Amino acid sequence: MKNHFQYILVLAVLLSQLGAIFAQTPSDDLMMKKREICLAASYETGSWDQYWEGTRLRENANIGTFSRDIIMPMFAYGITDKINLLAGVPYISTDATGGQLVGAKGLQDLGIAVKAELFNRQVGPGKVSFLTTAGFAFPASNYLSDYMPFSIGLKTREVTLRGILQYRFDNGIYARGAFAHLWRGQSKIERDYYYNNGSYYSEWMDVPNALNYHGAVGVWLFNNSLKLEANYVAVHCTSGDDIRIYNSPQPTNKMSFDQVGFFGQYYFKGIKAIQGLGVLAYYSEIIDGRNMGKFQSMGAGVTYQFKL
Amino acid sequence: MKNKWIRIILSFGLVYAFSCEKDLLTRADYADYTFSSLDEKGGSWKPILLSGGSQISIPTPKDVTSDDYKNELAALKTAMANLNSDQKKAVAYWTNNPVLRWNEIALELAAKYNLIPQPNADGTYTLPDAANPSKYPQFPFAHPPYTSRALAYLSVAQFDGLISAWHYKYTYNRKAPSDVDNSIVPAYAKTSLPAYPADGAVVAAASRDILTAMFPLEKEYLAAKATEHMSSLTWAGVNVKSDIDAGSTIGVEVAKVAMARARTDGMSKAQTPKPISDSIKTAAFKRYGWQWDNLESPVRPVGLAPLFGKVKMWNVPNVEIVRPGPPPAPGSAEFNAASKELQDIAKKITPEQRKIANWWSDGLGTYTPPGHWNRYVKDLLIEYKLNPLRSARTFAYLNMAVMDAGISCWDTKYYYHYPRPIQTIPGFKTILGTPNFPAYTSGHSTFSAAAAEVVAYVFPNEAQKARDWADEAAESRILGGIHYRFDAEVGITQGKNVAKYSLNRAKLDGAE
Repeated sequence: MKNHFQYILVLAVLLSQLGAIFAQTPSDDLMMKKREICLAASYETGSWDQYWEGTRLRENANIGTFSRDIIMPMFAYGITDKINLLAGVPYISTDATGGQLVGAKGLQDLGIAVKAELFNRQVGPGKVSFLTTAGFAFPASNYLSDYMPFSIGLKTREVTLRGILQYRFDNGIYARGAFAHLWRGQSKIERDYYYNNGSYYSEWMDVPNALNYHGAVGVWLFNNSLKLEANYVAVHCTSGDDIRIYNSPQPTNKMSFDQVGFFGQYYFKGIKAIQGLGVLAYYSEIIDGRNMGKFQSMGAGVTYQFKL
Repeated sequence: MKNKWIRIILSFGLVYAFSCEKDLLTRADYADYTFSSLDEKGGSWKPILLSGGSQISIPTPKDVTSDDYKNELAALKTAMANLNSDQKKAVAYWTNNPVLRWNEIALELAAKYNLIPQPNADGTYTLPDAANPSKYPQFPFAHPPYTSRALAYLSVAQFDGLISAWHYKYTYNRKAPSDVDNSIVPAYAKTSLPAYPADGAVVAAASRDILTAMFPLEKEYLAAKATEHMSSLTWAGVNVKSDIDAGSTIGVEVAKVAMARARTDGMSKAQTPKPISDSIKTAAFKRYGWQWDNLESPVRPVGLAPLFGKVKMWNVPNVEIVRPGPPPAPGSAEFNAASKELQDIAKKITPEQRKIANWWSDGLGTYTPPGHWNRYVKDLLIEYKLNPLRSARTFAYLNMAVMDAGISCWDTKYYYHYPRPIQTIPGFKTILGTPNFPAYTSGHSTFSAAAAEVVAYVFPNEAQKARDWADEAAESRILGGIHYRFDAEVGITQGKNVAKYSLNRAKLDGAE
């Protein structure tokens, strides 16, 4: 049983410079076998009508309700049974019901990641596994990061290193934790002066690095066809400034959030005509944040897997 | 094997991500330099507000052979021999042209305070209160007119103060410490400029006092800056204590003269109450049949500084003589063409157009268009190695012309009260935020054209570049969807006209 759906979500976190915006299950214990390919596509829609200005939750009638739609095509490949290659690039569009500023749209960042299973062993009534992923992402189009909140991403290069630890009981119940460090570079903007607790005479902004925490509990049912999971995701920037009162956000901000979500996926096993096909759906909600919109998001996707 | 893969990929990735990291400058990157001229006759130039270089009096300095002077010189040598790293940094930071640093400080404060008040919970707005500056919204809201004015008073006070300094320098001809004692090696390029009074102390005291009046919550910050600056003159070996004391006296006195003008220039009445604002709007509607409305949510009841157009001008005898004729009426053929142009741009903006719009945006949270031009001029002053007096003169005429341009532009804006594109084009959305004041004429265009004319006058070799910049700044507002082409074009002409008055004055001040 190959649970390739998961790659969508692994990639989502690796790619998302808004801070794991897609992340329902950013990482898991599952690997594709050698020479297997998974193609996937997902659609997500999210919105907020309140945002954190620094740590203060507020509204802004000149934004009203902010919305974001994401289409995410992805690809995964088993280099070996223990090493997988993943790639994807989201197309994002943003809009708001209030004010007169136009939304933004375009391809965000191309992400490429390598995932490796370093450890997988039966311990007691289940299996312990440890995996790691290393990813890079870089802007795939000439979008503008310095147009927040409408900008579709932070337009910087990002390197992610993640460790994943899971225990899965033989009866299908599992618990998983992951920790990642996100190193971000600088974002080129379209002006050469900005204020970040002081003057900066540069066309570049430093984008803060971040830590990513992830926890999940779930269960596999119906002979490993259906997976249900509840999860928690946090991305915390390690530096950055706060949005000033009633001012626009900018890529230098300390953007952090804590999010809870549910995730389900179904794999069509044993139906010959649609062998290799799967579907997934998820919902998530940001419960605490800083310099971020209080997003509620839902998404759905299809995956198709085959062997070369 | 697997671990090796990860290590290779990660290290490649980190190198990739950070290979092109840029150093982010937080101030102009320049050191002390040899001035292109000393302007020995600068003490006879005609100041802006003072009657002449001798209006402010300072004590006759003691001779360099006096015991008092020798004691001061000994104190200077002791200080120089015991500099800690912070003191050395201060010497390197302030340089021998601190006019540039104080201008930079002013721009930073403008950016810090250029925040528009948010609505209250009940949908009303509270305005900053100069009498209670720390209460939200903090005073000031350093919008473009406010910033243009702060920069004008700063630069004029620096200029007049330095004319006074030059007057006494060449009246008393007291030598620099290193010319009295050749064991002293000054930190800055040596000049034959007499040391008494200290020009750096004039600039420090005048800048501190003007900026404290303009940004009252920064009083302590500015006092600390000025104290460090004045001390650094001794640490650098360029001035003894009595040089600094006399310079400080001139700075304090010239700032008083400048602030006396500022208190009565009409700025305190520029942000009108709603009834006056409404009557201005009604007058325009009766005259022309159109009116600008604020479209924010909740609606701001009063536009930005409706009576800034009534503020006392520096060099234009009255604002009506530089007021352009009316814009085309909404619905006219000329209007429709301008409106269609905006919609066509918005449909398919190119990356180059977007960058121009953003490059000149200088919106909320930045140093504003007047600040942007000061920044460019600062870079030119460094490139052309102008001395502090000539630097201050350049900033003074720049900022008087820019403030006059702003006054003229605001007079025009509220006289015609012309609606913005988001008001006249149903459903129109823009990449730049529409400001809280009428469209015609464009502030960016008027400010920039006036600034470019001063640049062209002071730096003839830069004239073409400066005028191209001004045209680009004007174009940027069309590309951003917030101005019609006629707002920009008429604004450019208006800015050039206004600048002529400042330049006519400059040509007669004795500096040519």
